[in-house]
Amino acid sequence: MTSDVRFPTREIGSLAKPSWRVKPFAGRPLEEGDIAEAERWGERLEVDGFDRLVEHLRQDELDLPEIDHWAARYALRLLERAGLDVVYDGEQRRTEMYDHVAGFARGFEVRGTVRSFDNKYYRKAAVVERPAADGPQDVDEYRFVVEHTDREVKVPLTGAYTMEDWSYDEHYAHEGALGSSAERRYEARSRFVTDVAERVIRPNVVGLVEAGCDWIQIDEPAAATKPDEVPLVVLGFNAALAGVEAEKKSMHICFSDYSALWPSVLELEDCLELQLEFANRDSRELGTRDEDRPGYADTLRLFKEHGYPGVGLGVLDIHSDFVEPAVLVRDRILYAVSVLDDPTRIQVNPDCGLRTRSWDVVYEKLANMVEGARLAEDVLNKASAPAAQRL
Amino acid sequence: MQAYAPGIYARSEELIQATRDLDRGRTTPEAVEDARERDMAELVAVQEEAGLDLLADGMLGAQDIFRPLAEATEGLDARPLTRFLDTNTFYRAVLVAGTPRLRTPLPAPDLPAGRWLATLPAPLAFARAARGALTAQTAAEAIIAPQMEAFAAAGCALIVLGDPFLAREGGVDEAVAALGELPRDVPLLLHLPFGDATPVLEALGDAPVDAVGVDFYATALEAVPEGYPKEIAAGVLDARSSALEDPEEIIRFVERLVDRGPGGVSLIPSGDLQFVPERIAREKLLRLGRARATLTEGVPA
Repeated sequence: MTSDVRFPTREIGSLAKPSWRVKPFAGRPLEEGDIAEAERWGERLEVDGFDRLVEHLRQDELDLPEIDHWAARYALRLLERAGLDVVYDGEQRRTEMYDHVAGFARGFEVRGTVRSFDNKYYRKAAVVERPAADGPQDVDEYRFVVEHTDREVKVPLTGAYTMEDWSYDEHYAHEGALGSSAERRYEARSRFVTDVAERVIRPNVVGLVEAGCDWIQIDEPAAATKPDEVPLVVLGFNAALAGVEAEKKSMHICFSDYSALWPSVLELEDCLELQLEFANRDSRELGTRDEDRPGYADTLRLFKEHGYPGVGLGVLDIHSDFVEPAVLVRDRILYAVSVLDDPTRIQVNPDCGLRTRSWDVVYEKLANMVEGARLAEDVLNKASAPAAQRL
Repeated sequence: MQAYAPGIYARSEELIQATRDLDRGRTTPEAVEDARERDMAELVAVQEEAGLDLLADGMLGAQDIFRPLAEATEGLDARPLTRFLDTNTFYRAVLVAGTPRLRTPLPAPDLPAGRWLATLPAPLAFARAARGALTAQTAAEAIIAPQMEAFAAAGCALIVLGDPFLAREGGVDEAVAALGELPRDVPLLLHLPFGDATPVLEALGDAPVDAVGVDFYATALEAVPEGYPKEIAAGVLDARSSALEDPEEIIRFVERLVDRGPGGVSLIPSGDLQFVPERIAREKLLRLGRARATLTEGVPA
């Protein structure tokens, strides 16, 4: 007897922060429009006690930690109401995935702002000594989430390789860098990755698991950007998580050449899946043939060929306000099933965190993603049902 | 021995904030343009203070190296966000939706004629940004050549053709053939930022360019063949590192490079200085100038 196909749906990490959260942290006064947004989304998401938030915002009676609590609750509710199976808090308390870690661990010093793309920027730090953290960073954040949801929870953590790759190095390889060998540069980067994994991320992971967390997602957007350094990504993942009793461990990678990942990723220990960005590079037309799905074909074949790990299928382009229709999400999933020939290896998510999109767009996108997953399940379950049941 | 700084320069914190504010509807395009002009004036002043031989406008309005030409060309569009090499930055891949034709050349910067350089994508780099939907030959003939002619007419002293992919992905024959389609009114530098130039350097010795730019933070000195026929534009500032270079170290390195007998040596950053904060980029330029002054004029570094 065949059990029904089910595609769990999740976010990847960040959501935009509401203006009523951003402005107080920036020391700017709220305007009526900001408070109206808190009221509108409170009503729409049916956030318990949102009217108290609105009143407190009007009276300017909330301190910053209380505002963070509310922002986390709103984000959680948005993800729940959109219908996701697995949630977190949209990283409402974190400044940004890199800065969140660099600002906490010892050994990093901020150097300034650099561009990511277009008019998007991030603060970049330099490593100036061996990084280390004195304890877990995100346990309080995690405990708040589990107290406010009954859904499954997945905690995103910035990976060691990305911390290394996105930092300036003023410690490991600075001296004699001009005209030096590739081997010397690789060795310095390896030491940097290992130190971050063992001395910064692992203490956080251990603390989270002790607090009850059973799904750690390591975010490595830098993973495939230096093909010959993918082994360092694996080194960082394993060094941070080896022996940790989390039920699920996964890795998120985006906007990269995924062909560089294999075979090194076969060495990831107990990795449930790689959650990848696909939709950004795909067509918006419907269809489940190879030519209909240019953003998926090549990478999914690598998953098929190597058989490990599972796929976190990015079905929403996070850099566009285009709201993917549910039938487009359906076709992307069905295409993935046709390539992998194993729906149990597939879970569904946006390409990446949705922080650059408005909540209105995010809500519509996520709701359609969930609906698209249900449509794909219907197709597959009907196809596999006995003929009498299909009548 | 000249020194100069091609590519996209770092935006100041003020310009960054202005562009952020524009995206959020808090300021006007005019205010952003004012901030950009202030940045450019500051950049020119820094280059003058550093004693750089050629001035660059820093491409402070460019969102990536391909975007200005993509937007100025009929039949092209820019959409999918694509990681730029192994950096935490992205460019928008070029979509080909028709027969490309440069609609109107990009305007020349407001810099003294005969003393400024321009940076453009090399033909094969542009083709690769279009993911093969455009040949290097077409990019050269239909887009880059007419742009170069416009810059030449406006008093450009050096055109830097950036190819961030060539050192990593190869394709020298195609790159060289396309370079052959370009006008030679202005000296040409083929710049290979952020990549180990070892595999392509020898073959580029015969390329129709006057100089080859090498990132010496990704390329070992020994990769430069003895008696290399072209000028080497030596990337001696690490454009991806916040660490400030010691001019003495640059000088020692350049002396070793000169000993290998290339057709000439000039000094540049390893790539676009937009990869470090503006405060650091500015200090790096000053140090580049100090190293060059010592090497050419005996001024103590």
